[in-house]
Amino acid sequence: MSYIEIQKLSYSYNEKTNVLDDINIDIEKGEWIAVLGHNGSGKSTLAKTLVGLLEPKTGDITIDGITLGEETAYEIRKKIGIVFQNPDNQFVGVTVKDDIAFGMENLCVPREEMLEKINFYAKKVNMLDFLDKEPATLSGGQKQRVAIAGILAMQSDIIIFDEATSMLDPYSKEELIQYIKTLHKDGLTIIMITHDINEALLADRILVMNKGKVFAFQETEKIMKDKETFTSSNLELPVALELANSLAQDDKFKEIRDKLWEYALTK
Amino acid sequence: MGIRFNQVSHGYTSFADGLYTAIKDISFEISDKNEFIALVGHTGSGKSTLAKHMNALIFPTSGTLEIFGKTITSKRDKKIKYNDIRKKVGLVFQFPEYQLFEETVEKDIMFGPMNFKISKEEAKALAKESLNLVGLDDSYLTRNPYNLSGGEKKRVSIAGILAMNPDILVLDEPTSGLDPAGRRVLMDLFKDIHDKTKKSVIIITHDMDLVYQYFNRVLVMNEGHLIFDGDPEKLFREKDLFKNHLDYPNTIKVLDYLNKSLGINLDIYKRTIEEALLEIKGAEKL
Ligand SMILES: Nc1ncnc2c1ncn2[C@@H]1O[C@H](COP(=O)(O)OP(=O)(O)OP(=O)(O)O)[C@@H](O)[C@H]1O
Ligand SMILES: Nc1ncnc2c1ncn2[C@@H]1O[C@H](COP(=O)(O)OP(=O)(O)OP(=O)(O)O)[C@@H](O)[C@H]1O
Ligand SMILES: [Mg+2]
Ligand SMILES: [Mg+2]
Repeated sequence: MSYIEIQKLSYSYNEKTNVLDDINIDIEKGEWIAVLGHNGSGKSTLAKTLVGLLEPKTGDITIDGITLGEETAYEIRKKIGIVFQNPDNQFVGVTVKDDIAFGMENLCVPREEMLEKINFYAKKVNMLDFLDKEPATLSGGQKQRVAIAGILAMQSDIIIFDEATSMLDPYSKEELIQYIKTLHKDGLTIIMITHDINEALLADRILVMNKGKVFAFQETEKIMKDKETFTSSNLELPVALELANSLAQDDKFKEIRDKLWEYALTK
Repeated sequence: MGIRFNQVSHGYTSFADGLYTAIKDISFEISDKNEFIALVGHTGSGKSTLAKHMNALIFPTSGTLEIFGKTITSKRDKKIKYNDIRKKVGLVFQFPEYQLFEETVEKDIMFGPMNFKISKEEAKALAKESLNLVGLDDSYLTRNPYNLSGGEKKRVSIAGILAMNPDILVLDEPTSGLDPAGRRVLMDLFKDIHDKTKKSVIIITHDMDLVYQYFNRVLVMNEGHLIFDGDPEKLFREKDLFKNHLDYPNTIKVLDYLNKSLGINLDIYKRTIEEALLEIKGAEKL
């Protein structure tokens, strides 16, 4: 049995069209999955069904052997954290500090420990100087950092990032990714929804959503060889691989092609 | 002249921690025509604050601003019609949620144009046209903007400003949250509007590939200061951009990697994949 199992999952907001249509996916413990797909393909909806915020129309979700349902929702929520696409949806407190604490409060983390963790994770996302500020006055990227800190602080086994870094500057993004890599090494299971192909390259496997369906779900290196999947789903290949593909006909460029692949998969 | 900043600073005062100066002593000019400008800089560097000055949504706390001949100071001036300025300079917010408030997408996009005393029919036609331009079909007209995906909301908020047809367009991270094809379509759309009408366009972004490919002028903010104003290529020829929390475009990074790992000597300053490809194919020593 896999760590996360999604079987025959469908969801619809209005009974008319299925926004998620017969999704079947298995994810193993400790995997890093990137989710790509066009606007409106169902990525955020899928994320919300996984954390029990939306109830599937049909199908089952099983996480670590527990099938998601009304009685198990609380137990499952302890295992899985989500950084929402819009950080404002995560803000409820008067100060940044309150907001980082919010998730931990629901997990009943003791006060002493909580204060320690607030400082630790605020520092990790470079927001230590902002703890007493009102969340509403933060810049876009600062809001995203606070939202991320609040979820990291819950130390869940699984974290879903829903375009959580879309407004960070390149340097902050890189810093954060380096940290997420260390968490992944220590066993964190990651589901990262993104439109940034370079960010997706870090994943073990890539899931491509298209009109509510799973269009492809494969090892990162393998899926990158399949240009069709990308062009038919409103996606673009990374620059290095576009170049490698365009040089594919000629033996003369073999060495360059190998280096381009090396760049794409290691940088 | 379109917009001129004269030693503008803006300090936010808040209950929690007093005064915070978000932009400091900024001076520069944006012509009312022919400008296609990227505005970049680290998280919290003051980009959105700067953008909100451009249509007088907020006022400088010191210094002055001239927008289409009107002088904006720290004090509200009864003689100035601020709403006229906001019609001339259209601003798309970083978070579409702050801009969408009607119960249907159609009404939301019509809201701006309806203020210009045009007929309801004309406003409807405009709404439909703008919606299609941002890549959404007519079925979205009757949808509630709150019940859209993130990228769909972003597109609707952009359509709302396009429908107003302002003289200058200021877009705060219009491509964040868009899928790659949408990013391309909308950047081409902004460029196309600029090319056809010569209108000035200012776009905030963290995407260095876009900065290199589309723009001929880039402004860099750092800790509230404007530290660079000029040609993107000049910026990307600088060493150590990372220290200003920026990065190099992917074409430059990839070509540089080829040079270093293969000991070859390609010109790395190529804007597009096509140009980079020509450079590789034309290289003498491989
Ligand atoms: N609350 C809602 N009510 C009705 N329809 C909705 C609602 N939220 C989303 N939808 C629709 O469901 C579809 C999937 O939306 P979802 O937010 O899952 O897309 P997404 O893949 O996350 O897109 P994006 O990349 O733009 O964030 C879209 O067509 C959207 O319009
Ligand atoms: N209303 C406010 N009250 C107090 N401080 C504010 C307010 N709005 C912004 N700030 C602060 O001013 C600074 C600049 O914010 P601004 O939103 O202009 O940054 P930005 O460059 O747009 O950042 P980002 O790329 O993250 O969107 C930030 O440190 C922010 O916390
Ligand atoms: Mg989404
Ligand atoms: Mg901003």
